[in-house]
Amino acid sequence: MIEFSLQVESRIITAVLPELEKLFALSAKDEDFSEILPNIDDPDFKEAWIDGLKHEAKVDRNALARLLKSPRFKFGRVEVKENDVDDLLRGLTEIRFTIRKTSLKEVVDEELEAGISSISSTHPEVQIGYFAYLLMAEVQERLIQEIS
Amino acid sequence: MKSDILSSSLSSPLLEEKTELDERLGTPWKVIVLNDPVNLMNYVVMVFRKVFGFNETKATKHMMEVHELGKSVVWVGEREQAESYAYQLQRWRLQTVLEKDD
Repeated sequence: MIEFSLQVESRIITAVLPELEKLFALSAKDEDFSEILPNIDDPDFKEAWIDGLKHEAKVDRNALARLLKSPRFKFGRVEVKENDVDDLLRGLTEIRFTIRKTSLKEVVDEELEAGISSISSTHPEVQIGYFAYLLMAEVQERLIQEIS
Repeated sequence: MKSDILSSSLSSPLLEEKTELDERLGTPWKVIVLNDPVNLMNYVVMVFRKVFGFNETKATKHMMEVHELGKSVVWVGEREQAESYAYQLQRWRLQTVLEKDD
């Protein structure tokens, strides 16, 4: 088991969790692998490729669901079985892509990479989405440190 | 004008012959990773290490190419293996394309 505590106040996590649950549901509906498919002409091969990615994305989402539903996560505690680490890392990336495409869709790439400097003047939906985005990045970063 | 030339060339027997020849000779394919604003730098390094077995230095070099130049050719070789790598990278949500190495 890999365990660590996030350096994030629990009131922020508590505030962000409902948004994350909403986004989690969206990420399952919204998944579209066709735009990232390499230039392959065979339709059967394409279908198998996309089906494979979809199936594996579901496994990754389950690992993320276990984290979000864990009773100690709202206090900043992350506990992950070693076998789940890779799935969780991918699940975290997927939900960050979903946040990027929904709550943060108005934010330009450069600003997102550098960090939104004037977050307090943005729309509340952007604010909560941005905190969720950062929280998921923090979990991912710490998890990578732990396994390195 | 260019597209007319291209479309007529695409259907020409000469090109089909060349394509078949390419396949027989095993023309190399490039696995190219594109930049995105979401994935963390250390995540990309970790994925390159996991998928290709790169050491830290090589994985970081490719990650920096993706970050600064917008893309990096991470592997070149036989098509089947290139597809396998592209699939694995996409599974890790890295934007990946395949291109013939002309």
